[in-house]
Amino acid sequence: MPALEVHQLGKRYGRRWVLEKVSFQVEPGEVYALAGPNGSGKTTIIRLVTGLAFPSAGWVRLLGANVHEEGWRARRELGAVVEAPAAFYPHLTGRQNLERMAWMSGVQDPAARVREVMMRLEVIAVADQKVAGYSLGQRQRLGIAAAILARPRVLVLDEPTSGLDPDGIGKVHELLAEEAGRGVAVLLSTHHLREASGYVSKVGILGGGRLVDEVVLQSGAPRYRVRTNDPRRASALLKTVPALDGVRLRGEEVLFSGPPEEAVRALVAGGFRILELGRDYFDLYAYYRERVSGG
Amino acid sequence: MVRFYLWELEKLYHLKSVRLGAAAAFLLPILWSLAPGLKKVYGLVLVSGWQVPALALLAGMEFLFPFLVAMSAAEVLGAEVAMGTLKPVLLRPISRTRLVAVKLLAALTYPFALLGLSLVGGLLAGVFHGFGGFYGGTGLGPGGFAGVGYLAPGAALAEILRAYLLAGATLLPLAALAVFYASVFLSTTASALATLATVLLMRMLVVFPALVPLLLTTYLNLYLQPEKAGPGLLLLAIYTLGFGLLAVLFFEKKDV
Repeated sequence: MPALEVHQLGKRYGRRWVLEKVSFQVEPGEVYALAGPNGSGKTTIIRLVTGLAFPSAGWVRLLGANVHEEGWRARRELGAVVEAPAAFYPHLTGRQNLERMAWMSGVQDPAARVREVMMRLEVIAVADQKVAGYSLGQRQRLGIAAAILARPRVLVLDEPTSGLDPDGIGKVHELLAEEAGRGVAVLLSTHHLREASGYVSKVGILGGGRLVDEVVLQSGAPRYRVRTNDPRRASALLKTVPALDGVRLRGEEVLFSGPPEEAVRALVAGGFRILELGRDYFDLYAYYRERVSGG
Repeated sequence: MVRFYLWELEKLYHLKSVRLGAAAAFLLPILWSLAPGLKKVYGLVLVSGWQVPALALLAGMEFLFPFLVAMSAAEVLGAEVAMGTLKPVLLRPISRTRLVAVKLLAALTYPFALLGLSLVGGLLAGVFHGFGGFYGGTGLGPGGFAGVGYLAPGAALAEILRAYLLAGATLLPLAALAVFYASVFLSTTASALATLATVLLMRMLVVFPALVPLLLTTYLNLYLQPEKAGPGLLLLAIYTLGFGLLAVLFFEKKDV
């Protein structure tokens, strides 16, 4: 069962659809990143997925429970930060804010858990200061601490590294990779594609309120790119080779997975001139730019 | 539920509008008891400390207390939206119905807290005039401030307590209405204004005599007409529950 399942999700304000027919799944242990230009619908998806907003079409299931029909029961396994920087009661200290959230989530031994997550996010030094005096970055770190407080099985984060310094960004990426390693399903929206591609499993590229493309990263199999004198025909030929997988055209190059010698053999037999062959290290940012401008 | 309610009260206490309102409610009777123009403007000479809380109640219920209640009740939800803390609360495994119900309870507590402070301020200010029996009235019983003869301290206190409790009850539907509007607009100012506008519009409906017994505004001076307390309190309770229910139902499917 997917940890998070989004099916044909749509949101309309008046006659205008801001989000249409978005579907994707996040499995336990996967990190799914939503990328797209401003206004493409990332935050709307985050609000819909967390149950803060209600869809005009489609549905969202968290561990099998419909977020909008089963209400708070569906949110028992959810941890989320939906605003950057995360908001807290300014008259309370960071520790008091987290203690109240721990109480609302029914966390066992809340004092110890609060201390643990504050240490993990390196905000323990300011734990007893009022949040009103926190910097933007400290509030964002506290927000992420609040999100993982109840040991959720699904984490949803809107721009989790917003307002953080490079050290903080690294810390958050490290933490998200660790959480995914523990089997937590992570959905996040981000503009930091190059950094995120180190631990993200899939990227959903949004444009104009639609899911334009879904890129699977870290599939395990190495990918190759080959440049020939006739890329279109070469692509068509390689698609017929049983040993090759995921054959597709990208500009003047043909991408594929599988043994490169099989591709070379087929291309030479087909009379193609091979101009270049090499490993394709996926540049998510370049791909994103290509898809968004193309979309 | 009790802990949740106490937390809501704590949040209420930290709201600026609530603190300002509390200060105003406490200081109003003290200022009025010292006002040099009381006799000139109202033809009133304070002869007993029991008259001071009544004076504060009459002055406050004209506009100040309904305004403060509408403002603070709207802020119970509106301030959370403005601070951005509503979303993190809604992300926790807590039902929206429970959240609004607790906020509503806190908002319904506020009128009594506000009037309680005004009463304390009134009693403190009344110390200068003494709390013995006197010939006259508290302003809240038969004969107004002139009274109908000798009034014992116990009877005066009973009149004042009854009037303050009835005044608190008349403010409950306003608080519930403000919470309902807050669940619609998610904004303190818009909700408080909508509440006051609704009350003003309702006051205009007196031109339809058949509606008068059913109007909320007909009972806003119930504290001066304790003989109408039976039907009045029933109607106020219906309005309060109705507005509260609307707030809960509306917020259940509200995009935040």
